[in-house]
Amino acid sequence: MLPDWKRLLVIGLLVLAFMAAPMVIEIGTGSLNLLIMVFIFVILSQSWNIIGGYTGQINLGLAAFFGCGVLVTHFVWKAEMPIYLAVIAGGLSAVVLAGIIGLPTLRLKGAYFAIGTFALAEVCRIVVGNIFERMIEMPGSYAASYSLIPRYYLGLTVAFAAIAVTYFITRSKLGLGMVAVRDSEQAAQVTGVNSFKYKVYALLISAFLAGLGGGVYAFMRLSFHYVTAVFSPIWTFEPLMAAVIGGSGTLIGPVIGSIFLVVLSEIFALTLGEAHLIIFGLLFILVVMYFPYGLVGSVSRIRQIISRVGRGLCETGENCRKGF
Amino acid sequence: MLQISNIDVYYGDIQALWDVSLRIGDGEIVAVLGSNGAGKSTVMKSISGLLKVRAGHIDFGNIRLDGLPAHHIVELGISMVPEGRRIFPQMSVLENLEVGASTNAARKTRQNTLEWIYEFFTPLKLRAKQKAGTLSGGEQQMLAIGRALMSVPKVLLIDEMSLGLSPIVVQELSGVIQGINKLRKLAVLLVEQDIELALSMASRGYIMENGRIVDQGDAKLMLCNPRIKETYLGIGAEEKAG
Amino acid sequence: MEFVLQTIANGLLAGALYGLVALGLGLLMGVMKFLNIAHGTFIILGGYLSFWLFNLWGIDPFLSIPLVMIAMFLIGLVFYRLALSPLLKLPDVGMRIDTSMLITFGLIWVLDNAMTMLWTPNVRTILTSYTGETFRFFGARFSFTGLCGVGIAVLVGLALYSVLSRTYFGKHLRAATQDAEAASLCGVNVQRVYLISTGIAIALAGVAGAVIVSSYSISASGGIGWLLIAFVVMVLAGEGNINAIIPAGLVYGLLEAGSVLIFGVPYRQAIALLVFVLVLMFKPQGLFAKRE
Repeated sequence: MLPDWKRLLVIGLLVLAFMAAPMVIEIGTGSLNLLIMVFIFVILSQSWNIIGGYTGQINLGLAAFFGCGVLVTHFVWKAEMPIYLAVIAGGLSAVVLAGIIGLPTLRLKGAYFAIGTFALAEVCRIVVGNIFERMIEMPGSYAASYSLIPRYYLGLTVAFAAIAVTYFITRSKLGLGMVAVRDSEQAAQVTGVNSFKYKVYALLISAFLAGLGGGVYAFMRLSFHYVTAVFSPIWTFEPLMAAVIGGSGTLIGPVIGSIFLVVLSEIFALTLGEAHLIIFGLLFILVVMYFPYGLVGSVSRIRQIISRVGRGLCETGENCRKGF
Repeated sequence: MLQISNIDVYYGDIQALWDVSLRIGDGEIVAVLGSNGAGKSTVMKSISGLLKVRAGHIDFGNIRLDGLPAHHIVELGISMVPEGRRIFPQMSVLENLEVGASTNAARKTRQNTLEWIYEFFTPLKLRAKQKAGTLSGGEQQMLAIGRALMSVPKVLLIDEMSLGLSPIVVQELSGVIQGINKLRKLAVLLVEQDIELALSMASRGYIMENGRIVDQGDAKLMLCNPRIKETYLGIGAEEKAG
Repeated sequence: MEFVLQTIANGLLAGALYGLVALGLGLLMGVMKFLNIAHGTFIILGGYLSFWLFNLWGIDPFLSIPLVMIAMFLIGLVFYRLALSPLLKLPDVGMRIDTSMLITFGLIWVLDNAMTMLWTPNVRTILTSYTGETFRFFGARFSFTGLCGVGIAVLVGLALYSVLSRTYFGKHLRAATQDAEAASLCGVNVQRVYLISTGIAIALAGVAGAVIVSSYSISASGGIGWLLIAFVVMVLAGEGNINAIIPAGLVYGLLEAGSVLIFGVPYRQAIALLVFVLVLMFKPQGLFAKRE
C-alpha cells in the first residue's frame, strides 16, 4: 500500500480532476447523467458497506432510507429551502426512520435481521404508495432553469463525503467495534463488545448516507410518476450488488463496484438489452462463491500470491476467507 | 482384518498424524491410548472417512477405505461411536436407532437387530418413544453405541466412551461391549483416556504421543509395565498399589 | 355482515395458499439451513411452466401439477449442485445461511430477467372454463379455483409431513440437519439427502406457482412479493416447524382479512407485515412452537 501522504495526494488530484472536468471539457448530457448515477451508487453502496460490509448485518431495507431521503428532500426543497439544506434534511429524516426501523430489528440475529428490514421497507413502500397516489413534481420554474452541472457537483461532494466518512470510521474505535461485531458473530463467540451499540451507530450512519443519496436523486429528478418506485427493493439490491462485487468490507470496493455496475450496465443495456442483468446476476453469484472480498480482494489476493511465489514465503492471514 | 499402514493426516495445513500404522484382527478388542491431543481421535476419524488421508493407506480386507465417503465406509461394515455421543436430540430413541440402520443390508435385518440391542440395553427399550435429548448421559452413550450397532458392523470404533460418565455406568457399558464382542464376534477399536479401563477390556494396545505411535503390545503386559503405569496411570496406579 | 363473512372467507382461501407458498422455503431454511431468497422467483417459474402447458397444449392447470413438479424437481437438483452444495464446506451454519442468502439473491437477478426475456414482463393468468365459478357457504362466496388451491395446500402439507415423519428419507433428513457428521457416520449419504430435499423444496415452489397462476396472476418480477409472504409464514410457524406452516398460512390470511376489516384494503399487507415484525421480535420461536 502507498504511504499516507501519497494516497492523500492521489485522492486530492482525483477530486481536483472531477471538480475541474465539467469546466475544462464539454461533457455530454448522457455522460453527465451517467456520472451522477455513479455518484448515487457510490453513496448507496458505501452506505450498505458500513452496516453490511463492516458490521456484518445484511440490511435489506436500504430502499426505505433512500426513498425517505428522496421524499423529504423533494418537499423541503419545494418549500423553497436551499437544496443543500433540503438534502441534509433528507439524510436526517432517514436517520429518524432508521431509529424507528433499526432499534427493533437490530435485536434480530443474522438472517432474521435481513428478513425484518426487508419486511419493514415493504411496509414503508405500501404506506407511501397509499399516501401519494398521484405523481409528485417540482413547480415548472425549477424545470425551466434545470441544469445537470449543479447535480454533478452535489453528487460528487456527497460521494466523496461518503468515502471520507467510511475512511474515518474504519480508522476509529467505532470501526474496530463494528468489525469486532461482525467477526464475533461469525465465529458465534460471545465477546466483551457491546455489539448492540455498534450496530445502532453503524445503521444510523448508513441511513444518513442513504438519505443523502436520496437527496441527490431528488435534486436530479424533478418529478416522480410513481412515488413507490423510489422505495422499490431495486434500490436495496443494486447497491448491495455493487458493494459485494467490488468488495464489501473494503473502502474502495463499493466505489469500484459502483463504477463497474453503472457503466457496464449502460454499455450492456445498449448491446444486450435485458440479458445484461442476467450476466450481473451470474457475476454476483461467482463473486460470492469464489471471491468473498470482491474484485478488490481478488486483486490483492493475486498480488499476494505473486509476492509469495516471489519471496518463496508462505504467508497466511488477512486475505484468507473469513472464518477459515 | 482392518489394517492402517503408515498414514499421515492433516487438519488444513497442520499435520496431526505421522506415519501411523495399526491393525485390528477379527473379533479382537484393541485399545489406542494416549493423552489429550495425542491424535487418537484423529485415527478414528481417518478410518471412518471424516478426515482425508494424505499418505499411506487403510485397508479393510481387500478394500481400500481411504478416500471413500463416510456413509460408504459404514456400508462396508465399520461403524463409529463418535466422541461426545452426538445423538440426534430432537428425534425419539427409536428414530435414532432407525437412522443407525440406514444401509440397505441393515434395513433388512432391522427388526432383528433392534431386538438384540434392546436385550443388551434395556433402558433404550423402555424409553423408545422419548426424545433422545431427554436421556441421561449414560443412556445417551448406550443409544450412541446402539445406533452404531444398528448398521450390523464387523468393526466398531468407540471414541472416548467413558468421558463424563460415572464409574458404575462405565463398568456396565464396558461389560456390555465385551459381551457383544464375544457373542457377535465384533471387533472393537477403543480410544480412551481411561487407560486402565481400556487395557482391561482390550487384548492389545497402542500408545500414541504427538501424533505418532510410540509403543504397542499385549494389553495385559502393558498394564503391568511400570513405565506405562508411571507415565499414564499416574496417581491412579499409586492408589491401587497403596 | 356479508362483507365480514366474505372477507374472512377470502382470508382463509388466501391463507391456505400462503401456507403452500411457504412450504418449500420452510423445508430449505428450517430443515437444511439454506436461506433461499429466490424462492418467490421459483414460484413464478412454476407458474410460467403451468401457464405454458395450458397455452401450448391445453393441459388443465390442476392436472398439470405433477408435470410442473417433476420439471421443478429437476431444476432443484441443478440448483443444489451448482449453488448450494459448495456451501456445506463452510465452517458454521450462520455462514451457510448468509452465503446462501447472497447467492440466491444473485439468482433472482438471473431468473427474473431470463423470465422477462422469455415471457415478456406482462401479467399472465390462466382462464379455464371454470375460472370465476363460485360456491356459496354461510353467505360467503368461495371461488372454485380458490377451493382447489386449499385442497392442494392441505394435501401437499400432509404429504410433506408424512414423508418427513414416517419415511426413512425423512428421518435421514432430520438426522442430517441435527448433526450432518453423525448422520454420515450412521451411513446416511448426506449430500444425496440434501440434493433430493432441495428438489422437493423447489417442486413445492412449483406447485404454489401453478395454483397462483390459476386463481390469481403472475408476472416475471412478482417473486419478491411471494417471497415476503413465504418468509412471514415461515417465521409465524417457527423455524423448522414444518407441520405448522399450513396453519400459520391460515393465520396470516386471517390477519390480512382482519386488517382489511379494520383499516381497509390499501393497508392489508402493511398491517400484516407489522404484526409479523412484532412476532419476529417478541416471539422469535414462532406462534406454534411446542413448549418443552
